[in-house]
Amino acid sequence: MSPGELLLEPFSLPFMQRGLAAAVLVGLSGGALGSLLVLRRLALMGDALSHSLLPGLALAYLFFGQNVGALLVGALLAGLLTAAGGALLSRLTRLKEDAAFGALFILFFAAGIALVSHYPSRLDLAHFLFGSILGVGPEELRFAALVSGTSIALLLWFRRSLALHAFDPAFHRATGGRGGLVHVGLLALVVFNLISALQIMGIVLSLGLFILPAVTAYLWVERLAPMMLLSGALAALGATAGLLLSYHLGVASGAAIVLTLGAFFLGSAVLSPRHGLAAPLLARWRTGKRVLHRPD
Amino acid sequence: MAHASHHILRFRSVTVRYGRRVALDDVTADVPCGSLVAVAGPNGAGKSTLLRSILGWHPLSAGEIRIGDAHTHHQLPRFAYVPQAHQVDYDFPATVREVVAQARWPARRPWQRLDAADHEAIARALAELEIGDLASRPIRELSGGQRQRMFLARAVAQGADIFLLDEPFAALDRRAARELTHILRAWRAQGRTVLAALHELEAAREHFTHALLLSTRLVAAGPVAEALSEAAIHAAFDAAACVHEAAPPVPRTAIFPR
Repeated sequence: MSPGELLLEPFSLPFMQRGLAAAVLVGLSGGALGSLLVLRRLALMGDALSHSLLPGLALAYLFFGQNVGALLVGALLAGLLTAAGGALLSRLTRLKEDAAFGALFILFFAAGIALVSHYPSRLDLAHFLFGSILGVGPEELRFAALVSGTSIALLLWFRRSLALHAFDPAFHRATGGRGGLVHVGLLALVVFNLISALQIMGIVLSLGLFILPAVTAYLWVERLAPMMLLSGALAALGATAGLLLSYHLGVASGAAIVLTLGAFFLGSAVLSPRHGLAAPLLARWRTGKRVLHRPD
Repeated sequence: MAHASHHILRFRSVTVRYGRRVALDDVTADVPCGSLVAVAGPNGAGKSTLLRSILGWHPLSAGEIRIGDAHTHHQLPRFAYVPQAHQVDYDFPATVREVVAQARWPARRPWQRLDAADHEAIARALAELEIGDLASRPIRELSGGQRQRMFLARAVAQGADIFLLDEPFAALDRRAARELTHILRAWRAQGRTVLAALHELEAAREHFTHALLLSTRLVAAGPVAEALSEAAIHAAFDAAACVHEAAPPVPRTAIFPR
């Protein structure tokens, strides 16, 4: 088989086409969103949030089957309960927000696993946890397009508030910004994008599509807008390459995408000329070349 | 200065409570236009609370803050708030010009771009604080003093009349502190008013014209020499020490400029 066929042949299948389109769409908006999560130091909180969606999804699936609307509402309720519960616990008890969040999300995840394991014939645990590209039907693709389009539009519309709030919350507030609203809005966008990524990535890995390209971009660029653009582009590229790997090697699509993005990240962590592990060596080599002079 | 029309800020019986705790108690004072005011006092005296209540962040339990005076330029003075320098993550991907440009963002609608007047104000602020040549540098490359000047430039670009600075000398070495003093004196000459929360009385005496000495209540107010007299400082700091006697001493974290 020629290299061209290796790259193109998988995407002649309709389910691969839909999977690819959905993955690229979610990657574009999720990668941009991931940049904000990384800069706000919410990367781990986002991961916790993704796990806490399981009971909502399981309940929705149990009652309404494979219905995008029901899954969305279920996941949204579970996500909001965790986020609001964490905020409430940190206000009313001595717990800090990350501790309250960490305690709640594992509770929600366990409740989800309990539900799924109690109805093994009707719910496939592996399907929820690891996703399945076969599950991306026309309806799921439409939902992914809607979520990505809306997310990108909202990120553009609120770009200044989001950037100010991430960089300098006190100044944001002093100039009339509403920090709480920006925070909740950002988390809500994350939940929507997580649900959109669910079929391809699965609950356990879906945040990887957001965070890995963001940290990779962070190692290369010095401004926020290029970081978000690069991160979105990397996520889309990684999703495409990951789906190809998944097809040829028979690996779960989510894992293949995360591993591809992980390779980008590890390569950047070593090679980035200004922020990578090799950066000090590179700097020494450069100054060495400059001060080197041969004896006459 | 006795005439009320020259006071750009007037506090009347200002009281702020957080739940049951009283952070500011019945503070009455005037801030003359064009003065450099050190808001001094021990930790927990209400310095930051006073600055933030000017911005309207804390509802006043009692009293009022009157802003502006009869001067035509000062009927609706504008505020610029400069947060403590170490509250910001300097690894954030942004250039110096972008941070100074943030001054003009809040006035623009989401679909609007910054216009020529905005860019003019940004360029003037960069030039005034002498960081024009650093404009396209990433902020992580700045020294402590340069960081501070970047935030002062952002405040200037806001077109403010009153500048509220939270612990401006906290993260600065001697040279950067001297530079800041020069900047503040120049601002004073231009008729700008500065209120700065300070925990170091030395800095207050050296660089400021007026002082408000707080210890939840107002201990003294007026020109620095009077407001920071030995008796007043004793009243503010030693009275507070009695209140906080039970609390264990907390080591101060040192902040070193890179």
